[in-house]
Amino acid sequence: MALRMGDRRRRTRRSDGVRVAFVLGLLLLLEFYLRPSIVDGQHGVPDFLMLVLLLLAIREQPGGGALTGFAVGLTLDALTPARFGANILAHVLVGWGASWGRSIFFADNLLVNAALFFAGTWVRDILVLLLSATPWRSLPAEALVWAPLQALSTAVVGVLVVVVFRDWLAIRIET
Amino acid sequence: MRGSPGQDAARTDFFLFTGCIALALLALALPRSWSFSIAAALRQTVLRPVVAIQARANQDRTSRFSLHSVERSRDSLAVLVQQQDALRRENDNLRGLVGVRARLTTASVSAEVLHRPTVTDARMLLLDAGSASGVRNFDPVVTAEGLIGYIVSTGPHSSSALTWANPDFAASAMTADGRVSGFIHPAPGLNASGPTLELTGVALRDSLPRGTSVLTAGAGGTFPRGIPVGRIVSMAPEVNGYGGIYRVIPFASPGAASHVIILISPRDSVFPAPSRLPLPPPAPALPAATPAAGVVH
Repeated sequence: MALRMGDRRRRTRRSDGVRVAFVLGLLLLLEFYLRPSIVDGQHGVPDFLMLVLLLLAIREQPGGGALTGFAVGLTLDALTPARFGANILAHVLVGWGASWGRSIFFADNLLVNAALFFAGTWVRDILVLLLSATPWRSLPAEALVWAPLQALSTAVVGVLVVVVFRDWLAIRIET
Repeated sequence: MRGSPGQDAARTDFFLFTGCIALALLALALPRSWSFSIAAALRQTVLRPVVAIQARANQDRTSRFSLHSVERSRDSLAVLVQQQDALRRENDNLRGLVGVRARLTTASVSAEVLHRPTVTDARMLLLDAGSASGVRNFDPVVTAEGLIGYIVSTGPHSSSALTWANPDFAASAMTADGRVSGFIHPAPGLNASGPTLELTGVALRDSLPRGTSVLTAGAGGTFPRGIPVGRIVSMAPEVNGYGGIYRVIPFASPGAASHVIILISPRDSVFPAPSRLPLPPPAPALPAATPAAGVVH
């Protein structure tokens, strides 16, 4: 009986993993195929890779969040090496911060999730700008206009993902 | 003596976090050539499918949304080429008559820009053409409108271009008539129309009116002479008061470019390659024991 219970639990865990992998795969498809095949330009468009990082980070321990941030940052630095290492450092800090924040307070509210997506993207953008030696006179416009715009669009898409896939991602939403 | 599982987990988290931070700081401290090599190696291996998928997505977008504008551009260019054919033949004849060599033609490679939704995207562009297509480091990158930047890192199937929006960018520039020259580099701060450029090194006596076109001067060998850069919109005196700083609105925007042209060698620069320079004439032998001969005080 105990064996059967353990078997069922293992099977449930595996199917959970497949569901999460499906959602993350969908986000990666949106990031690398659908977004560039529809939208031309980079200002204000949602960052699906950031959503992948945040959705993974809130499911993991802070160390795992940092490791995921490292992988995402390395990918971005390899694709657009404006300053190699800037994206790695920014994503490690955001991944670790999101994971740590999740363990301190429970993000079961939709608004808290939205705030997490918004703040994560905004902080990441500001860190990347600072680490990429952005001239001080350019910094306010980039950090206070374009970065919040992208953070907002990312948060909106993130909320939609959470609402649609909340059962698959095992995210409880209190109303 | 082992700690509790909670303590072990916290210790593991701490080591993972500090390890990631240390690696990130190491990556930041790497010399530029090393970091470009690592990025190119990643793009050639684990990220190659990602680059290929994004390049495919760009091609799909162009065929879906930009077909009409591409057709219009092609038709207008066809008309232009037909009109200029007679002019080109006349120019070739005249060059032949006066014994001037034929103008160098610049070969080019077309490439799609693989944009990323990051705040620093416009400073460094990822292009879907690499050394397999003949692209090399320092090849100029332009659009139909004007200058974008130059190649800083190449892989077999992709390359990175440093654009004029990057704080490290600088190039020699001149006015369209070639009368005034200076240096062009990104201006700090943002204009209403986005990032702009500054033309510096222009003497105050060489006053340039608003609307003057600025082109690359060809000095330095990276950019050929005559690539359109932008148009002057305002002037402010330099801090020391000896020259003017002209704000230039660029013709081409790296953030908005979806398709670029990479100019591959030979480059028609004002400076020929050192191997092509004529040898200096042999110096005449100096007469011995006549130290003051020919000197006028």
